[in-house]
Amino acid sequence: MSIVELENIIFQYKGSKDGSLNNINLNVEKGQTVLLCGASGSGKTSIIRLINGLIPHYYSGELEGEIRVAGHDIKKTELHELAGTVGTVFQNPRSQFFSVDTDGEIVFGPENIGLDPKEIKARLNDIVVEMNLDEILGRSIFDLSGGQKQRIACASVAALLPEIILLDEPSSNLDFDSIELLRGIIMEWKRQGKTIIISEHRLWYLKDAVDRVIYMENGKMAREWTGEEFVALSEDEVKSYKLRPIVLEEELIRDIRGESKASLCSVEDAIELKDFYFSYKKHPYIFLKKHFKESDGDFLNLNIQSLSIPKGKITGLVGPNGTGKSTFLRCLCGLEHDCRGKIISDGKIYKGRDRLKICYMVMQDVNHQLFTDSVKSEVMLSMKDKDEARCDEILESLGLADYKDTHPMALSGGQKQRVAIASAIASDAEILLFDEPTSGLDYSHMEKVSELLQQLASSGASVIVSTHDPELISECCDYVLGLNHGKVVYLKENSKQQRR
Amino acid sequence: MKLDPRTKLFMVFVVSLVAMMSATTPLLWGIRLTITIIPIILLVTEKKYASALRFFLAYAIAFVLAFYFLSEKSEGIISSLLIGYCGIVVQFMPAMITAWYVIRTTKIGEFMSCMQKMHIPDGIAVSLAVVMRFFPTIREEYSSINDAMRMRGVMLGGGNVLRMFEFRMIPLLFSCVNIGEELSAAAITRGLGGDTKRSSVIELKLGFADYLLMTFLTAATVIFVMYKYFL
Amino acid sequence: MDNKSKKLKAKDFITVGIFAAILFAVEFAFGMLGYIHPFIVASYVIILPLASGIPMMLFYTKVEKFGMITIVSILMAIIMFVGGMGYLGAPLIILSGLAADFIAKSGNYKSSKKTVLSFGVFNLWICANYFPILVTAESYRQDLIDGGYSAEYVNNLFAAINVKTIGILVVLCFVFGCIGAVIGKAVVKKHFEKAGIV
Repeated sequence: MSIVELENIIFQYKGSKDGSLNNINLNVEKGQTVLLCGASGSGKTSIIRLINGLIPHYYSGELEGEIRVAGHDIKKTELHELAGTVGTVFQNPRSQFFSVDTDGEIVFGPENIGLDPKEIKARLNDIVVEMNLDEILGRSIFDLSGGQKQRIACASVAALLPEIILLDEPSSNLDFDSIELLRGIIMEWKRQGKTIIISEHRLWYLKDAVDRVIYMENGKMAREWTGEEFVALSEDEVKSYKLRPIVLEEELIRDIRGESKASLCSVEDAIELKDFYFSYKKHPYIFLKKHFKESDGDFLNLNIQSLSIPKGKITGLVGPNGTGKSTFLRCLCGLEHDCRGKIISDGKIYKGRDRLKICYMVMQDVNHQLFTDSVKSEVMLSMKDKDEARCDEILESLGLADYKDTHPMALSGGQKQRVAIASAIASDAEILLFDEPTSGLDYSHMEKVSELLQQLASSGASVIVSTHDPELISECCDYVLGLNHGKVVYLKENSKQQRR
Repeated sequence: MKLDPRTKLFMVFVVSLVAMMSATTPLLWGIRLTITIIPIILLVTEKKYASALRFFLAYAIAFVLAFYFLSEKSEGIISSLLIGYCGIVVQFMPAMITAWYVIRTTKIGEFMSCMQKMHIPDGIAVSLAVVMRFFPTIREEYSSINDAMRMRGVMLGGGNVLRMFEFRMIPLLFSCVNIGEELSAAAITRGLGGDTKRSSVIELKLGFADYLLMTFLTAATVIFVMYKYFL
Repeated sequence: MDNKSKKLKAKDFITVGIFAAILFAVEFAFGMLGYIHPFIVASYVIILPLASGIPMMLFYTKVEKFGMITIVSILMAIIMFVGGMGYLGAPLIILSGLAADFIAKSGNYKSSKKTVLSFGVFNLWICANYFPILVTAESYRQDLIDGGYSAEYVNNLFAAINVKTIGILVVLCFVFGCIGAVIGKAVVKKHFEKAGIV
């Protein structure tokens, strides 16, 4: 029996062609797990939004066709009536919480539909056991890591006991271990017989879970595989569809989790880092400790006495979440004043604020980094001497010339990323830092970023990129730098590097 | 110590009331100080030692300065700046400490349930809950934007005050609007805004501590008003 | 969403909450300047409308139904009250919000002129906070002096804000509210419309 039926769907968002759907016919059987894959803007998210009713009730546009979900005619059903039937886990763990505390968030849904408090408590207990949430219960959402937030999001959806669970790129902001946990949750739901529909770029963690895979292209369902067929696809076939790999190599997994053997390879041409110590913990209460030393030991979030960063190369910075990758980048570029580390490059010593002059970081959320009202002025803002010709050159080389006068916020995620990179180039920084540049991107956008990084490196910049993205590492990193608990565990040449 | 959110709201009410009327005699100052100390002690019982200590010190310093070094006759720039500082702190700090305590220790769920008990319309309760949830978000977003500005060397907007303001405001608004969109989508798909009455896992019950504190606060207010205006 | 319905929905309440939080954050950042000198307290009527013009104009683009502006003012009244700003002003804050809502409604929340007027009126809530200074002038003055304020500060405060100047302050508040609205609209156009957000 079909639980989800989409019939002759044609949809277009108001004022945008992205994500429009063209003649979609889809039936999903009860208990099936369906994966939607394909490039960004191909319509994956729109299908999710049709099933949970956000289209047409929240995002407006022109819609034709019939949608029936578990007996409801979506067009005529109010969103809140679907609450006990369809649950959705969204992409961004930061914005999908209503409460500030974790317990409150899990019970939020059941409270909304007016369930009996006893029943809600029983559900809460069940879910906590099922998903191993004990350690993150009773905490503030603002103190959780992305992975923990996403688990709470899953729990809060599960608490409504929906028959159908939708996940919209749930792994975008997660590290390897959190994705493993997410996979566990999905498997549990599958065991319970829920109908699961996932839109996703990262495929490896779903390979054993899915029954059907639908490949979306330009708003159409272009291909469909069964789970077995999908796993059997060859590496080249997967690439030809511009999809991320389905199978990851063991060594890559070890690298990405920061579990490779401790070793430091020697680097000939290097930028030296000295005395990078830092801690977020503030003790005692009023007199904040500001000067950190190696002897502070475990108290430190970052503990690097000296390190050589390969010059003019791309170094991938890996390790589990919360291990100090972002802290390292922030200290390196001088955003954390209290880190007194020195950068030595070409015999010159940079410390304190000077670090900001030779470093430039492209942040994980590029939205925070875009200030002006056009792509061109955004790039000009970074230039010390405003050189229009050079600005045009940079935009040309990044394929942004056509968007010169567009507002940066009107661009797609991948394009915004490129604008941020363009301003990084314009700043003439020697050391370019990237914090998770590709986690939410599809294969072709990831490839583009990787090409760009290679261009940057070949033009002489030293690039350090923190990432959980195995594909990015194998595509472009020359070296892999593994961190654990704020300490350098290994620096090694990347054997999987496919460039040469 | 677990206080009922209604007690907390009552405390906010009383503290702002007393803070509004200025104290003029030692007795009145005594009452005012006691009322200021209560939220600080409550913060300690919630193990928020750092903030309790910080609030205590800030208030104590301002208080001592205001009493011993500033008087009716103080003039000049330094003392006027000092008055500024002491004025803010002595006048508004009690209410600020209380508000901070309440926001920090009240869960959104408790708050919603308390609003329902007090027959506040759901819509207003939702809006207020979002305000409470959004302050930390604004802080988080703002600090990321600040970092980005430092990175790009535009902290001072190129010496242009308007741009300084614009560069902070615009990305902040973009972020908040986006987060808001996603937040409402996530909340509505989980049933917010339905016609059924919301239930609540948190059963609000006034305990001994609640009654004690409420009685004490009421008594303090009554004495304050009596002595100030009638005796 | 169903635009025909006049009833406020969950999404609207969330939008209101978000913008009230932003509005308060802006007021708070600038409001802290006030204690440096009493003249700054009086100049809130200029600073605050200009500073809050941008977020509020963005908010106005999201308003389609009656009540949203009123609720923002209710929230501001509550926040001001909790922040120790007193009770006397609270009803006036809500009143100016209500009036602003009616004005915007008369233009169906679309008319530019009405929006500018509406925001001008909305800003009168700032003056509402001066209310206690006027009504209780004499006792308030003695209170402040007894309470440790210097006579100089108090005299300046009362020189800046009294029954005679309040008229000017209200007019200034309204005028700068309108100016803030015009600037805010321009910025919304420059950024948010260009980016396709509104």
